[in-house]
Amino acid sequence: MDRGQLSKWFKHPGIMAQKYSLWAVYFCTGCGIIEVPPSITSRWDAERFGVMPAPSPRHANLFMITGYVATKTLKAIIRTYELMPEPKYTVAFGSCPINGGMYWDSYNTIKHIDKYIPIDGWIAGCMPRPEAIFIGVTKLWMMIDKGAATGYKRYRENYEYYRKNQEKLFGKLPWPPLFPIEDKNEKLTV
Amino acid sequence: MSEELAKEIIDNFSNTGVSYTSKYRMYIQTPKEELFRLLEYLKDNGFKYLVMITCVDWINENEFELVYQVGNFNTPLRIIIQVRIPRNNPTYESIIPIFKNATDYEREIHELFGIVFDGNPKLTPLFLEDWQKFHPFKKDFDSREYVKVTFDSIPTLEEYK
Repeated sequence: MDRGQLSKWFKHPGIMAQKYSLWAVYFCTGCGIIEVPPSITSRWDAERFGVMPAPSPRHANLFMITGYVATKTLKAIIRTYELMPEPKYTVAFGSCPINGGMYWDSYNTIKHIDKYIPIDGWIAGCMPRPEAIFIGVTKLWMMIDKGAATGYKRYRENYEYYRKNQEKLFGKLPWPPLFPIEDKNEKLTV
Repeated sequence: MSEELAKEIIDNFSNTGVSYTSKYRMYIQTPKEELFRLLEYLKDNGFKYLVMITCVDWINENEFELVYQVGNFNTPLRIIIQVRIPRNNPTYESIIPIFKNATDYEREIHELFGIVFDGNPKLTPLFLEDWQKFHPFKKDFDSREYVKVTFDSIPTLEEYK
C-alpha cells in the first residue's frame, strides 16, 4: 500500500474502502466479455486493482457493460442494475454502448445506453484491450476520490426520466418503480 | 449420383427445374404444391437432415422465396430447394412432419418475415421480446427511420432538464 495515502485512509475510510474493493457483476452483454476472462485471471489479474467478479448483483458495485446491448438484454441490464446495492458504478465498455458503434442503424440495438441507465465512465474502442479496463478502473478511483462518480445519485434524482425511456421501449415494465415517481397531474389537483 | 437424381427429379415432379453452381451444390426450383412430396422423396433417397431454412424477400416481384437446404451424410452434395410464395398474407405449410428440427427455423422466419406456418405449434417470439407488430427483415421496413424515431428522438438527460 502507498504510504502517502495513509492520511486519506484516516480521513475518509469509507471512500477508500469503496475505491479498493470494486466487485464487478459477471454479466456478459456482447462481444466485449471476451476481454474479461483474461483480465480477471492470472494474465492481467484484476484483483491487484481490487476488482473481482461477484457471484451475484447483490454483492457487486461495479457494472461493466461489455459490448453491444440488444433490446432484450437491456431489460436484464436494468434489472441487474436496480438489484445492486448503492454505491454502484457503471462503466460502458467498447464503442457500441456509447453510440451504437457499427450497429448505428440497427433496429434492435440500443444506441445510447446512458439514456436508460446512468453511466460513470466510458472506455472507447472496438475492442478495448484489458489494459484499458485498468486505466478505466484507475480513472474511476480518481472519480470516487473526488466524489464525481455520482451515477447512482443521478438515477435516484432523475428516475422519472430513465423510467420513461425504458417504458418507451418495452411498454409497461413488469416490475414496480424502484423509486417513487412524482405524478405531476396529481400535484395539480391537490 | 447427382446426375441420376436430377434426372429422376425432373421426371417425377412437375414444373421443377434443376441447376448447379458447383459440383456439390444442386439447386431445385419447385412450385409450392410439390415441396412436401419432394422433401419426402429426398429423405427416402438419403438426404436425411435439414441443414437450414431461410427466406428471401423479392419485393419487386411481390414474392417471398423460402430456401430449404438438405444434406446427406454419405456424399458432400447439398440440395437447395427454392419455393416462391405470394408476399401478401403469406402462409405456408410447416414441414415439421418430415424434419422435426424445422421448428425453430420456422419460428425465426415467422418472427422476421411474418410468414405463418400452418402446423407449427410454437410460433412465439424468439429473439425480439416486447416487439411491436412489424417484421424487421422485410425490405419495406426502413431501419434508419425506425432508429431515428425510437432511439435518436430521446433527449439526453441534460436536454431533458
